[in-house]
Amino acid sequence: MRVLENMAKIVEAVNLRKTYLLGKVPVEALRGVNLKVEEGDFLAVLGPSGSGKSTLLNMIGALDKPTEGKVFIENVDISTLNDDQLADLRRKIGFVFQFFNLIPRLTARENVELSMAIVGFGKSERRKRAEELLEMVGLKERMNHKPTELSGGEQQRVAIARALANNPKFLLMDEPTGNIDSKTAGEILTLVKKLNEEKGITTIVVTHDQRIASQAKRTVQMLDGLIVKDVMN
Amino acid sequence: MNVNDVLSYAFGAIKLRKLRASLTTLGVIIGIAAIVALLSFSQGLQDTITVQLQKGFATKTLIVSPKGGLGGGEASIPLLVSDTDTIEKIGENVSAAVAIMQKTCFINVNGRAFTINIVGVDFAKYQTIYESTFVAAKGNITSENDSVVIGARIHDPWQNGTIIADVDYMVNITWTKRSGTSPSQNKTYTGRITAVLKEIGGFNIGGPSDLGIYIPISQAQGFFETDECSAIVVLLKGDDKATIDSVSEAIKTAFNNQVSVTSATAVLDIISSVFSNIDFFLAGIAGISLLVAGVGIMNIMIVSLMERTREIGILKALGMKNQTVLMIFLSEAIIIGLMGSAIGIASGWGLANIVAKVGIFGGRIQGGNQAAAAATQISITPVLTPTVFLGAFAFGIIVSVIFAIYPAWRASKLKPVEALRYE
Repeated sequence: MRVLENMAKIVEAVNLRKTYLLGKVPVEALRGVNLKVEEGDFLAVLGPSGSGKSTLLNMIGALDKPTEGKVFIENVDISTLNDDQLADLRRKIGFVFQFFNLIPRLTARENVELSMAIVGFGKSERRKRAEELLEMVGLKERMNHKPTELSGGEQQRVAIARALANNPKFLLMDEPTGNIDSKTAGEILTLVKKLNEEKGITTIVVTHDQRIASQAKRTVQMLDGLIVKDVMN
Repeated sequence: MNVNDVLSYAFGAIKLRKLRASLTTLGVIIGIAAIVALLSFSQGLQDTITVQLQKGFATKTLIVSPKGGLGGGEASIPLLVSDTDTIEKIGENVSAAVAIMQKTCFINVNGRAFTINIVGVDFAKYQTIYESTFVAAKGNITSENDSVVIGARIHDPWQNGTIIADVDYMVNITWTKRSGTSPSQNKTYTGRITAVLKEIGGFNIGGPSDLGIYIPISQAQGFFETDECSAIVVLLKGDDKATIDSVSEAIKTAFNNQVSVTSATAVLDIISSVFSNIDFFLAGIAGISLLVAGVGIMNIMIVSLMERTREIGILKALGMKNQTVLMIFLSEAIIIGLMGSAIGIASGWGLANIVAKVGIFGGRIQGGNQAAAAATQISITPVLTPTVFLGAFAFGIIVSVIFAIYPAWRASKLKPVEALRYE
């Protein structure tokens, strides 16, 4: 049983609204979303395409700005941050994307190293850590391969290693299994669950995958830009 | 992200698109090579001309010649051989004045015949003025009446040992005399070569020439039946501007402004100012090609920006700051500019040297005519001054960077979420 009062609130969204212009037609992707995520949580965000899941994830990840409402990360209102401060904040967030988003010309190890290079780690330090992380995700032997030489599942594991490189406050995953076969997806899920359970890494996953939803500690159901269901498993 | 990482990231991006990067670099290479080749060649030409003029046209001299004459209507008053006395009386700044009489004659020596200028001059005085150039390599410059002194190219026109005139050879000089409406009449003067001048090289104004044939002025006066000379060379005691100006003025006053006075220093000044204009013009033309290269860089970087939008989104999602993105793109331009400038300077320098050796201006400037076909060798050695070297380097890099600023700025301002969504 979770004791909410004792857990630190890491992410909070307050009355989030986001309106896009699709051509000339305004589209309301979020229509007033409220969400709190505590440290150590494993949250699955479910919902049909166009329900606003990814938009919500982008807001929480400081990649996009809401039209209305506020996002607090560790109680800091991110709308008050400038571009540089937002960049600093993103260094503390681990992103995992559906299409992996690895840099094609860099090897697996270099991709993991890149996120540490951006933060300013020295060469030997980041190389050592990249190797450890790749070993942890089970890719030690493949670390000198480029993304094109890796399978979808392997690429996603590189992406997870990269997301973990800077000891993030939390992981944001956008359809992490959406582009890989179900067997590999199972392995990824096991890895994510293990990270959450063993290392206590707060994880927010946007997914269609019912298996992830069933393994998560909490599921949030979205529909038409609103949270319609929020349950603890 | 530290500077090393930024540079190696930028370098990696360039390496990925080798052909495109080399073509972009080629644009810079062509621009820089053009600038360096043109300017080092022009500098070499300027140096050659300056040195030649200083040699053949001592800086301590003034040349007095009749006003007008050349295309400017009739010469105002003739300049006479005896006018040297007037000039020598001008003052303490004048140490000597020598009259020069030039006529085109038909020469016959050792079975060869050609047309050339015969110069009548007072050998002794001429030697004091041009002490480093009016010097015998063979024989002695003596003032005997039939003495003839010839330039090095008359002696050995092709510089290959084929001697057509040498010391003690007899020379027949034929001059066609025309006066008024009476029929023309050929006169012939026979002299003996007493000296061959040492090689002078290049140009001369008033001074001795490799293609000159000299006879004593007194003989020239008799043979050409005139006291009119074509110029008077004045040797000054100093080559400072004050001396040159005061003597020039004094001479003009003495001849009621009917003569023109040219100073070597003034000519050198004019030449150097002409060259700086030419340099500016050449650099401008070459600069345009570099500008085109700059537009090429901008074009390629905008294309690259679009291709790499998603990559920029990833970098930003990983927490890269705007200024780091800007630096990566600018570094790519700096690398291209650096390589382009370095290769451009090297190839421009090579090009200038090749042109100087085999090319258009390099070889020979035909000096004689007809049978003599004597040639005067003017070799131009391109000169790469530190200013041109550093300037070209800086210019190449600056142009590359300036044209990269806009694409780099756009890259840095991309919104992460939009960049990530970009297909």
